Amino acid sequence: MLKLNRVCAQAGAFQLKNITLEVSEGENHVLLGPSGAGKSTLLEVIIGLRPLTEGQVLFRGEDISHLPAEKRGMGYLPQRLDLFPHLTVRDNILYGPRSRRLRPSDYEPVVTALIEATGIGGLLDRRPDTLSGGERQRVALVRALAARPPLLLLDEPFSALNESLRHELWHLLKNLQKEYGFAVLMITHDLTEGFFIGDRVSVLIDGEIRQTGDRETVWRGPATLPVAEYLGIRNLFPGEVVKNTGETVLVNCPALGGEILANRRPGIAEPTLGQTVHLGIRAEFVALRNKDHPPKADELVLHGEFTGITVAGTDVTLLFQPGGSDAVLEIAVNRRLLRRFGIRVGYPVTVGLARRDLLLFTG
Amino acid sequence: MSFYRVTIACAFAVLAVYALLILSLFYFLDISAVWEALSSRRVLFSVEISLVAATLATFFALALAIPAAYALSRHEFRGREAVDTILEFPVIVSPAALGAIILVFFSNPVGAWIQEHTLQFVFAFAGIVLAQFIAVLGIAVRFLKSAFDQVPSRYEMVARALGASPLRAFITISLPLARRGLLASGVLTWAKALGEFGATIMVAGTMAMRTETLPIAIYMRLASADVKGTVALILVLLAIGLSALYVGKLLFRERNV
Repeated sequence: MLKLNRVCAQAGAFQLKNITLEVSEGENHVLLGPSGAGKSTLLEVIIGLRPLTEGQVLFRGEDISHLPAEKRGMGYLPQRLDLFPHLTVRDNILYGPRSRRLRPSDYEPVVTALIEATGIGGLLDRRPDTLSGGERQRVALVRALAARPPLLLLDEPFSALNESLRHELWHLLKNLQKEYGFAVLMITHDLTEGFFIGDRVSVLIDGEIRQTGDRETVWRGPATLPVAEYLGIRNLFPGEVVKNTGETVLVNCPALGGEILANRRPGIAEPTLGQTVHLGIRAEFVALRNKDHPPKADELVLHGEFTGITVAGTDVTLLFQPGGSDAVLEIAVNRRLLRRFGIRVGYPVTVGLARRDLLLFTG
Repeated sequence: MSFYRVTIACAFAVLAVYALLILSLFYFLDISAVWEALSSRRVLFSVEISLVAATLATFFALALAIPAAYALSRHEFRGREAVDTILEFPVIVSPAALGAIILVFFSNPVGAWIQEHTLQFVFAFAGIVLAQFIAVLGIAVRFLKSAFDQVPSRYEMVARALGASPLRAFITISLPLARRGLLASGVLTWAKALGEFGATIMVAGTMAMRTETLPIAIYMRLASADVKGTVALILVLLAIGLSALYVGKLLFRERNV
């Protein structure tokens, strides 16, 4: 449906470089990236509010690279929502269909259904400045969808909301998407939001797409070190390639106690002997083990102690230092586990790192 | 004295300067002279052409200034700096010099051709409108640009993304959102046109019952040493001008609520 071929664009000194991206009919595609990565700039290029300097934007097979925004026929939900303050909710919602000169018979049934689905029927005669945050989000969502666009572009619209409202709106968006079949391209820096909404995920860092894939593939297997760091993998340790058998790579990683066998993942550049690489593992995949329990197959067992415990709401992070190493591994657990094991700083502990969860980064 | 108090004292000093001048008029106030002025055909004619000319000049100025101000507020284009700088031209050259420049223009072949084939401007009502139009155009653009600057351009971008053409986005989003600023700009422009003297007298002259606007009538009364008549006309002009400015101020205040 939407295809970007080597798109380049400029925003002041910032550059978008060779962006290639594809969104299929009905797909939920999330563009993840840190602040300043160029996500909003890219969305503006797609919607037609910023010119591209090179490349091509194709929408349903048509080259729309130089088509003005009003002729692209996409839905757009900006970060600040930007409901027109001088118009009522009703006029805000109908602004798109009226601007596109649709016949009332073409949009009225959809608009009525959307209003019902989002529960904003009682707000139609009110002005945006009298609405709550959640109501404004719903109105903006209905306004973006009122003209039945086949593709909805969302620019971090839920970032300013509280947690429960965000969850509610994520589900609402997914339900509407299921009902009306439009495709979604959403940008966000929020990993939870991105991996909930996105069937497919692209990671944009420093104006370049660093990885695209289905949600699970990207989450489990970041392609490069910067992507891994962005995706929240903080257990990253340097090492040197000792042996490369093709399918597995033996890495000397002093931080993790010596030579460790890691699987070579598809798409990862071939490591050469002596090359400095990184080994990484998600904090969620570091398993607490009973020290007397025999190690599982293909599992690296480390003995050490807890050096710190960080509690942030429901998330608990344990800091683990292997014996004889300065390295610190983060282990993600839940509060229940913390209570159950009576975990304390200085507590001796054994952890297991399964080989299938160890990520090798050669770039 | 704290800086805060000094600034407030300065604000009151500004008020005092003008209030003192206005109050001094009442020393020569003669109610019968005011009544005589208000019932004089010549004065009523001056009031009428002042109001009509200022309204026409404001209308023409706004018709050109609104799109120009929008362009200056929203777009980067070649020559933008030149346009922005020339807005102060009427202020820099002084009204009398501006009027002289207009006269010189109508003395050259192009100006003469215009007068011959379109409208007579020199020593005519059209000249009053033209002089006021030229005198207020720059300041009107400046006021209006400030009104558009206060409307975030992102609303227009969203309107475009929703399918509105640039013209529709301008008419349905930018203009309504800037409406109070635009109205206030219109009132201020009109008040400035109403009080215009230097350029008007140079272009239109001082012909009674033809080109004598209120400011020119004031000048003529003073020139004939009729102080009470001068004060009466000043009060009439002041009442009209201050009313317009007050309306403008109210509009600005509403905008800030």
